[in-house]
Amino acid sequence: MDPVRKVDFDSEACGSQTPKSKPCPRPKPGEAAGGCSFDGAQITLLPIMDAAHLVHGPIACAGNSWESRGTLSSGPSLSQYGFATDLNDSDIIFGGEKKLKESIDYIAGRFAPPAIFVYSTCVTALIGEDMDAVCKEAGDRLGIPVIPVNSPGFVGSKNLGNRLAGDALLQYVIGTGEPEPETPLGVNLIGEYNIAGEMWDIEKLMNSAGISVTSRITGDARYQEITWAHRARVNMVVCSRALLGLAREMESRYGIPFFEGSFYGAKETTYSLRQMAYLMNDREMERRVDRLTEREESRLAQDLRPYRKILKGKKAVLYTGGVKSWSVISALKELGVQVVGVGTNKSTEDDVRRIADRVGDDTEYIPEGGASRILKTVRERKADIMIAGGRNMYVAMKEQIPFIDINQERHKAYAGYEGLLRLAKELTYSLANPIWKLAASSAPWDKEVPYDR
Amino acid sequence: MTVNKRKKPASVNPIKTGQSLGAVLALQGCYRAMPLIHGSQGCSAFPKALLTRHFREPIAVQTSALQEMDVIFDANRNLEEALNIVLSKHRPDIIGIIGTELTDVAGVDYATMLKSYKRERNLRGGLAFSVVLPDFRGSLESGFSGAVEAMIDEMIQQAGHRGSRTVNTRQITLLPGSFLTPADVMELKEMISAFGFEVIAVPDISTSLSGHLLTGFSPLTRGGVPLDSMLQSLQSGLTIAVGASMERPARRLHNALGTPYKVFSGAMGLKASDDLLHFLHQISGEPVPLRYCWQRENLLDSMLDAHFQFAGMSVVTALEPDHLHSVSGWLEELGVEQKALIASYETPVVAGMEREVWIGDMDDAEVLGKDADLWISNSHGMAGAARIGAAFMPAGFPVWNELGAYMSASVGYRGAMDWTNKAGNLLMQREAGHRESSIRHR
Ligand code: SF4
Repeated sequence: MDPVRKVDFDSEACGSQTPKSKPCPRPKPGEAAGGCSFDGAQITLLPIMDAAHLVHGPIACAGNSWESRGTLSSGPSLSQYGFATDLNDSDIIFGGEKKLKESIDYIAGRFAPPAIFVYSTCVTALIGEDMDAVCKEAGDRLGIPVIPVNSPGFVGSKNLGNRLAGDALLQYVIGTGEPEPETPLGVNLIGEYNIAGEMWDIEKLMNSAGISVTSRITGDARYQEITWAHRARVNMVVCSRALLGLAREMESRYGIPFFEGSFYGAKETTYSLRQMAYLMNDREMERRVDRLTEREESRLAQDLRPYRKILKGKKAVLYTGGVKSWSVISALKELGVQVVGVGTNKSTEDDVRRIADRVGDDTEYIPEGGASRILKTVRERKADIMIAGGRNMYVAMKEQIPFIDINQERHKAYAGYEGLLRLAKELTYSLANPIWKLAASSAPWDKEVPYDR
Repeated sequence: MTVNKRKKPASVNPIKTGQSLGAVLALQGCYRAMPLIHGSQGCSAFPKALLTRHFREPIAVQTSALQEMDVIFDANRNLEEALNIVLSKHRPDIIGIIGTELTDVAGVDYATMLKSYKRERNLRGGLAFSVVLPDFRGSLESGFSGAVEAMIDEMIQQAGHRGSRTVNTRQITLLPGSFLTPADVMELKEMISAFGFEVIAVPDISTSLSGHLLTGFSPLTRGGVPLDSMLQSLQSGLTIAVGASMERPARRLHNALGTPYKVFSGAMGLKASDDLLHFLHQISGEPVPLRYCWQRENLLDSMLDAHFQFAGMSVVTALEPDHLHSVSGWLEELGVEQKALIASYETPVVAGMEREVWIGDMDDAEVLGKDADLWISNSHGMAGAARIGAAFMPAGFPVWNELGAYMSASVGYRGAMDWTNKAGNLLMQREAGHRESSIRHR
């Protein structure tokens, strides 16, 4: 596989950086699913673990969502605190700016974070709170960055929120710091949120190839490292269409080349590592990467053998939405699992093209329609397993369909070579569990046969 | 006694969830229902995810999916669209429209819109109501009882028989508060019916969120109290409300239909269980079934066994108001020190408690409960409990760090016994852990 520069992105896609020539599809009242832009912004920024994240609005936006994500930290845990201005009736009438200012002061004074991210929500946006001004004033006064994130829920989808968070990083964080003089410069990982610790597996791999991570944007990140992200030599956008704009902007501002890749599946992992070395323009590193990937791939092939035997020809329906679809398909294919149905609900045309490249002709595309629509495909295609987000987990359980959670709340890391092995194991355990037979059986007294005396 | 608040501008690690989540929960206890949140899509996605995580069941909820411009110009157009889709696609028996802070601040009048919608579409046979539940007021508890109140209002309207009804004195309407688990509701229903009453719980999460495989997946609620039973409940001779927050809906029934009601602030612990059973005994004239006499003995015996464990122990409790009141009553009987009681927001019941109550968040629990041995709260308290070194006992909503929490009962003698044992076991494990680490450090 030769490393090539991919440049033909669909820049009209919702969530991309360039001006929208095609508006984001409007969520349909009565059958919308999925989170708001505020949710998206938090998904992108909460993995900056040592920062404080303050939600400006009535309680529900923070109260219903804090501690709900699978992003892990290896050290500081301040980002796991739920901070909210918790506006009440009179705050709404008289304005919440004073409370916001006091809250920022309070957090800075008590927790001394390196930075505070402040999120607007629908109500504070609607009543016209001037968050930018409050943040600026507080930041100047306190001497720490106080960063407004203007991504209230009602502006759009989660994807848009990811992008708006990226914009906030570009505008307020990236380029404001410098690394220690001796720091080896390497790659920024963009859009990898360390769900279930995936970032750690990836970093370990990169380190064994001698590639260092400059900034993690943002899995298990520290605020400071993002301030010097502009010094990296390569940007990798990990399965995230919404943050492509960030990479593109960094290319034009700082001349950092970027590529889009994934760590799901051995092939994609190898490709990503090679691409890094290639873009770093380092022959020696490329050779190291080749040696490493060859060794890892052959070891993985060994380890996978027993599982491949079991998984070969098994049929899966995959519903993850967006970018992850195509990358997970690659991983499943390597395990011999056939993807008979795939969700394209949040995918762009480009995603769909890539999905088409990877699946067979008879794979069904599931555009939208929620759980009922997915179940229909599972039944019609006689799928053995459903692979989707936590939202659909209990839908599958009610229908007694084996299930693997692939989204941000999950507890298993599937990235890299180790991750693929883990995925193979999880699939096998799930399919082999005795519960499927037991749940399908009826109580003995419900059986027709009369008691034989 | 007194209600206090620590002075701090921001909420740090909130206990509170939004009111609208409480309303969504209430509707899960009605068969073939669909809560429709009139707000932006996040306002339904978050509650759905959180309820799913707690109950480990699919949760029925939809949204009018407002976007910025809709809020400013015509939010009700979205609502109408949502209603059209939900009605034509799923044909629910019950629709509850839940107004949010967004529609409240924007001043959207959806009650009138719903009225004319019902008139135009000739919506007979089903139940459709709306309720205003902005999240800058109250919490899960008030959202839950507010939704039940609105639902009951609509039932009374629809049945249209003010005063003139045939009262069934053997039938009791149970209004279970938001803090009761499906297993609690089941237990309460059993207790009441053990005295020969028919009981209709409104809402009834014991048959919907308890985990059953009867109907497979449906976008509507599966299980819960069916609409005809709900309407039939209007004939009940008595209402029993569990949780002070359920008094308002009970009063609605009383004011409109003359149904007498009795409010139990909780049913956890010896005294609370005694009160409930004694009341049932008196109104029915039936003897207290033997099994409850046994369970009472069992509880007392387990409390005797456990009291060594609780000696000198202190507890910090952070819950929704009614739940806090109920749990605190049980803790009283264990003889532990109640270091701090923290409620998510202020209600008359917490203001009237003999102990000092704080209105606050998990951070307050951490500060005020410093050095406590046991910490009782929803799963958001886990990190704080670990920081102060307290044993953590999950209770309330949401709980995600324990399997089957939604099926654990705390009401009745058996519930109190289970909880007493559970708390005692946690303290024992903690002690063993301490011993272990002191050995290792030597
Ligand atoms: S849609 Fe708006 S109000 Fe609702 S959770 Fe998202 S930010 Fe908060």
